[in-house]
Amino acid sequence: MRIRSTGAALFAGVALIVSACSSGATTAPSVAAPTTASVAPSTAPSTAPSVAATPAPSSALKIGVVTDIGSLNDKNFNEYTYKGAVAGATDIGAATPGSVVPKSSTEYAQDIKSFTDQHYDVIVTVGFNLTHDTIGAAKANPNTWFIGVDQAPCVDPTGADDTKFACKGDAKTLLPKYISITYQEDQAGYLAGMVAASVSKSGTIAAIGGTSLCAPCIRYIQGFALGAQSINSSISVKTAYVTGDFSTKAFGDPVYGKQYATSFIAQNKPDVIFQVAGATGNGILDAACSAKIYGIGVDVDQFLSYPNADTCIVTSAEKHLTNSVEATIKTIGAATAVGGPQLFNASNDGIGISDFHDKTSLISADLTTKLATALAAMKAGSLVTCPATGCGVYSK
Amino acid sequence: MTAARPDQEASRRRSLGRRVWSAIGLPLVAIVLAMLVGAVVIIASELLVGGGQLNWGKPLEAYGALFQGAFGGTDAVVQTAVSTAPLLLAALGVGFGFKSGLFNIGAQGQYLTGALGAVAVGVALAGAPGIVAVPLSVLAGVAVGALWGFIPGFLKATRGAHEVVTTIMLNYVAISLLAALVAGPLNTPKSISPVTHDVGNAALPVFIGSNGHIGILIAVAMVAVVWFVLYRTTFGFEVRAVGVNPDAARYAGMRPRLLTMLTMTICGGLSGLAGAGDLLGVSHQMTSSFSTTVGFDSIAVALLGRSNPVGILFGAILFGAMRAGAPLMQIQASIPAELIDVIQGTVLFFLVATPVILRGFQTGLDTTQITRSYGEASH
Repeated sequence: MRIRSTGAALFAGVALIVSACSSGATTAPSVAAPTTASVAPSTAPSTAPSVAATPAPSSALKIGVVTDIGSLNDKNFNEYTYKGAVAGATDIGAATPGSVVPKSSTEYAQDIKSFTDQHYDVIVTVGFNLTHDTIGAAKANPNTWFIGVDQAPCVDPTGADDTKFACKGDAKTLLPKYISITYQEDQAGYLAGMVAASVSKSGTIAAIGGTSLCAPCIRYIQGFALGAQSINSSISVKTAYVTGDFSTKAFGDPVYGKQYATSFIAQNKPDVIFQVAGATGNGILDAACSAKIYGIGVDVDQFLSYPNADTCIVTSAEKHLTNSVEATIKTIGAATAVGGPQLFNASNDGIGISDFHDKTSLISADLTTKLATALAAMKAGSLVTCPATGCGVYSK
Repeated sequence: MTAARPDQEASRRRSLGRRVWSAIGLPLVAIVLAMLVGAVVIIASELLVGGGQLNWGKPLEAYGALFQGAFGGTDAVVQTAVSTAPLLLAALGVGFGFKSGLFNIGAQGQYLTGALGAVAVGVALAGAPGIVAVPLSVLAGVAVGALWGFIPGFLKATRGAHEVVTTIMLNYVAISLLAALVAGPLNTPKSISPVTHDVGNAALPVFIGSNGHIGILIAVAMVAVVWFVLYRTTFGFEVRAVGVNPDAARYAGMRPRLLTMLTMTICGGLSGLAGAGDLLGVSHQMTSSFSTTVGFDSIAVALLGRSNPVGILFGAILFGAMRAGAPLMQIQASIPAELIDVIQGTVLFFLVATPVILRGFQTGLDTTQITRSYGEASH
């Protein structure tokens, strides 16, 4: 125990320096500290309603981000969402956003409340796990904007979180300043599928999802299959899910992911593999590299977020977290923002595929044209990227 | 005779002072040293990456925000109490085990299964009157946590399986069990990701501020209960006797195996109560990734409090305040939450290292080694 604690302390010390390091590299949030500190919020609670009510100039907006458990610089949801908030703040001339990283599930509400107590105007919360507490905070603070990334709120007629999912209330009217952002994963998957099919030589490609209970994972993979077939109608797309539940294996176990993918590759012999399994998927990418086949990343540009697998990552099916959060903050700054669910897809630059980095030579001019055409068709709404029935529904 | 009395008084007072210093001196030194190390880390990180400036005021700014977040106003104090309650309960459990010579690393799993039991019964009774739903849900948490503590106790008593190994393994079982049940029978079908229903009327009533739930009162009451059991009952005496010397305890007619099982069950029950309090008082629902730092922090708190219930109370307030103040520290001073981990880890490091450093100096500090006997050092 002693050794573990000391190790934890050392590790945490390094983490502190590293995280301070990368935040310095982005836009040095510490610069903003004196300004926020000098506001001395708790001394003047009575001014709160008037501050929120008067249309302040955009530069005066205070933006805060509550991430999910982990770290701010996770090269994943937390980091790219925060970068979006930083970019949005820069665009509208606001101070660099503050951030709070929860340590446990019981801290979400408190962390959001820390920002509302400090009279922040825009609070960004990251990920599904914060949905419940974001709804609660949005209900209690009707004058504060909330941006929930990857959240689909379901509320009862009073605007409270409906944990029975009857969804009798209309979040858009009951919580008019809560913008819940979701993404159309199948479009990103479609583009990734086109790339996979064109770099495949064997005519067999594969996609592995974290769990068959994860609808967004299924949409990614359904889009992937359709996109691949649009390039090569006879292509064989092998799909599998690491597990059928939400245990750690689904998204949190890279070691198991590598094991699983290694035997999957040996059995099915794909030459491109698309991972939709979070950190478990990082292990899948490792397995792809070891097997000397190509890998495709998910959610963020994994060539950057997971350099371990750079030798084999062709591209990644991306949710443009940074873009979408930045765009949303800009609408708030311009006072044109509308609350309620906000779908990000090709039409508002909410999804896409990542840069090919050192694999650019694999991408033919023909494919580049086809990708551009497909993206344009998605923007126009004329391209089907998910099955008309059963989109996001698992079937054997 | 009469002339000697003032001398006796003086020496008694001196020895009392020495006893107090011996009990709290070491933790105090460790905390101060840890804050200093934290300050050095802050200054170093500012110097290396935060614009490259030597900012001597930054640690003060960080600790100021931390303190304001923990104690600056009613809301902050209530939040500190909310963060302290689970640490206090779980650490009482861990400390109780230490007294009996049991190193219970399983507070994490006992906390999680306690929360799981509470949410299962809480959701089932969400529509029942609070007077029925609340006690039953809390008791369910205690019972499941106690079961999670009983298993390693039973294995140790009957098979001699070491509780460190079994409790660590049961932590992982608890995490997976929780994920499986929340994604399975407890899941809300239409949700895009596994989550249970709200506990409704089974939520703990709030008695102060916006979220000061009655679990805080229960936790504080348990300090007295555990103290009483340990120091004023035969059972408590036996628990401590087994901790000091199981063989002697057996020759004295006690039954160490039975006591081991009972002690681990009580450890588990207290951690389970911590989990139930957090779930019914704070979260009100559970996602499949429900997690906490309470289980491991509580081991540190128990060590810091030297397994004494009153010491644990102060240790829990310290750690709870750091958790409660962390958000404001991140917002106002832009110091990452990891600093809290640095301070907590360093406190433990110095608890262990200080006696080694001070050995040879006549400081009056109790420098008994901080292993199993550490729990006994205060008594």
